[in-house]
Amino acid sequence: MKRLPLHTQILIGMTLGLIVGLVCLQSPALSGFIIDFIKPIGTIFIRALKMIAVPLVLASLIIGVANIGDISKLSRMGGKTLGIFVITTVISITIGLTLVAIVEPGYQLPEETRTNLMQLYDSNVENQVSKAGDFKTRGPLQPLVDMVPDNIFKATTDNSSMLQVVFFALIVGIALLQIPKESGATVLSFFNGINDVVIKIVQYIMMIAPYGVFALMASLIVEIAGDDPSKALELLYALLWYSITVIIGMFLMMVAIYPILIKYFSSIKYMDFFKGIRPAMLLGFSTSSSTATLPVTMDRVEKHLGVSEEVSSFVLPLGATINMNGTSLYQGVTAIFIAQALGLELSLSSQLMIVLTATLAAVGTAGVPGAGMVMLVVVLEAVGIPTAGIALIMAPERILDMIRTMVNITGDASVAVVVASTEGKLDPDYAKAHAAD
Amino acid sequence: MKKMPLHFKILIGLVLGVVWAFLSSSLGWNEFTINWIDPFGTIFIRLLKFIAVPLVLFSIISGVSGLSDVSRLGRLGGKTLLAYMLTTVLAVTVGLTMVNVFKPGTYMDEEQRIKNRLTFEIWLEDNNMGIAKDGRSFLSDPQYEQYLTDAQKGRELSEAEKQDLEEKMKTAQMQKEASPLQFIVDMVPENIIFSISNNQLMLQVIFFAIFFGITIILIPNDKAAPVINFIDGVNAIFLKMVDLVMKAAPFFVFALLAGIVAKMADSPGEVIELFLGLGSYALTLIGGLLFVIFVLYPLVLKIFVPKLTYKEFFRNMSPAQFLAFSTSSSAATLPVTMECVEDNMGVPKTVSSFVLPIGATINMDGTSLHQAVAVIFMAQLHMVDLTIGQQLIIVLTASLASIGAAAVPSAGLIMMIIVLQSVGLNPAWVAIIFPIDRPLDMLRTVVNVSGDATVSTLIAKSEGELQKY
Repeated sequence: MKRLPLHTQILIGMTLGLIVGLVCLQSPALSGFIIDFIKPIGTIFIRALKMIAVPLVLASLIIGVANIGDISKLSRMGGKTLGIFVITTVISITIGLTLVAIVEPGYQLPEETRTNLMQLYDSNVENQVSKAGDFKTRGPLQPLVDMVPDNIFKATTDNSSMLQVVFFALIVGIALLQIPKESGATVLSFFNGINDVVIKIVQYIMMIAPYGVFALMASLIVEIAGDDPSKALELLYALLWYSITVIIGMFLMMVAIYPILIKYFSSIKYMDFFKGIRPAMLLGFSTSSSTATLPVTMDRVEKHLGVSEEVSSFVLPLGATINMNGTSLYQGVTAIFIAQALGLELSLSSQLMIVLTATLAAVGTAGVPGAGMVMLVVVLEAVGIPTAGIALIMAPERILDMIRTMVNITGDASVAVVVASTEGKLDPDYAKAHAAD
Repeated sequence: MKKMPLHFKILIGLVLGVVWAFLSSSLGWNEFTINWIDPFGTIFIRLLKFIAVPLVLFSIISGVSGLSDVSRLGRLGGKTLLAYMLTTVLAVTVGLTMVNVFKPGTYMDEEQRIKNRLTFEIWLEDNNMGIAKDGRSFLSDPQYEQYLTDAQKGRELSEAEKQDLEEKMKTAQMQKEASPLQFIVDMVPENIIFSISNNQLMLQVIFFAIFFGITIILIPNDKAAPVINFIDGVNAIFLKMVDLVMKAAPFFVFALLAGIVAKMADSPGEVIELFLGLGSYALTLIGGLLFVIFVLYPLVLKIFVPKLTYKEFFRNMSPAQFLAFSTSSSAATLPVTMECVEDNMGVPKTVSSFVLPIGATINMDGTSLHQAVAVIFMAQLHMVDLTIGQQLIIVLTASLASIGAAAVPSAGLIMMIIVLQSVGLNPAWVAIIFPIDRPLDMLRTVVNVSGDATVSTLIAKSEGELQKY
């Protein structure tokens, strides 16, 4: 068991959970056992994820920003790179949100099931409704106001003010950059230490992930199906639609957004770009880690696309940590899918909040293995979607992770090409000759 | 534009904000102002507030741990409290003098005042409080009988006003019933994380920070060093944040003022009308507050710090003063006050980080002055003569209440209820001055903040640590 990679373990846990859930459905006594003794394990897992969310955001963002600043001061290239990163990220989330609104994978579940789910996860539905009522009387800029904490310690004690924590961490990071190095040194190393500790904790939590997922899945099946096993299948059907939505979104990024970017802002052809970067994409697909793929990405971008080393060695490592188009698209779709499945209506401002949280949260946490799930918790908490809904999307997580890493890498590479091209650091004919090598 | 000093830019923002508010309300753009401009004012206040608590926490710890020996802290603390007490008494005295000289309450129509008096006596009777303290009884005087029916109707309060008032009375009651030492009890936090996550519990944060700072001094140096480094670093970060926020201050102040004025009334006419009704009161109060800012504090400083010129004092302090005016919150202004006092006035951090946060919570010269003027104005309005003794009670209650009520939100009005009750007047009268409380609050806060700054400068001087002057 120990030798198996984590993803496989999770997948096994989930499948077992599914099977156990379906089996236990046959007898009420066993169902009761699942609810009483298996479900808490899943709840503990979710709680552990939530527990680490605030420290992770705080520490990793402060460190993340403090490190960005180091480089961004170097040149205006830094500013340009960050600008393009932000723009592509926003575009990808927007695509995700639009698609999920059109396809509505969550509504593939029958009405009745959705109501069930909602009651299951959200004990205070009325609370949610009244919150929505509040929203209407507020001014249009209220989301902006709500982003600013009026007491940072209060914000950190409330998971639903995650965006305030993100905002605070960003400002601390910026301020940290501007104070003299020696007075910031202790703080920086303190947060570095905290960050390492938090990452270690995330790893521990991920070690129990297979069991947590098993428990979540088994109890989900038991609770949702009641005495009708076919409902469990409906759930899987909805998941299929959800996965398709994510994949379509990724596909759109690959065949529409990046080609447009390459075509209008660089001097090489998209086909050449595609040919040149393909090995890195494949590696990203199989490792689902942009950091692990980084050496290959750099090699392809420099030797086969003709981007100068000066640009690639700056843009790509930075991109691997903060630019995650695929991931943010995925988070947008997932958050809305869970909301749809639970029958929650999300207002425009909540969706905007998803965009903001997903974008900002991406800044610091990319390098952390398993952080994707914590970040999803962060996004869900920020808009008040019950976190236990994560159980729903565990099944296709592995395969989607592979695809989104591919998109992340392609995104980084295309930004590198665009930056190099507009800075005049790209030889236009080089790619044609070497792309396919 | 870049070369212009910050306080000048803030002033421009302030003036533009008011101009914009009047312009927009006369053009019917009030909704736009409230929807799209006012939120930035709110953001500004929130920014300052969230900086304030950590800044207080870390700067006190860093200040206290920087002291050479603990006994100095006791001396510093004693001096600080004494100085705050004295400035408060001075401010209240100014208020009392002004209100007794100008008698703003007597400008109103004589008949109306008689009716007011009769209403008051009816209220006294209803509450079994005996006759008015000045011993006169208009009710039993036949010459006033004709006004009686009108008076019985009394002043009708709206439902919302009544509710609001009731709540405030309850708080005031609790405040009064508590033991006189309650405020010391309240200073000790039960859970420090809870205290720092609540903006209203600043005194508890101060207590914890001082305690923490003293402890740092007492543990071995090598163990304390990393903690001190960390805290100094965090402190520097928060100070930098203040800098960053202040860069945008002129714009924020513009938004803040535009929003305040736009919310106050639908048309500029209404604003002016509000003021005219209570004009004599507002003028007296404003006069008193301005006197304290422009004469009293500079004078005190002149005596003790002769080298500091009048102009320099204001050049040093004006960013904080403008900010106090536009936010009407001394806590929100605190980060900037600290910066002004340290960077411009040259007060060492060990003094300012200790004196200012305490001042922001307990020293309310402007508020106490306001209490005195308002209470006596209302008494005059109701033809109640207050003896010197009663007026002294007012001074005392106002000064003490300003310390005790520090942790209470909208402390000003609650304090006033306590003060009114202490001299046997009807606490419901606070409703009279409700309408123009907000704009006057702005000026009061300027006095509060200037008072804090003045005291911290004095303390630094008395410690011989004011290098600059």
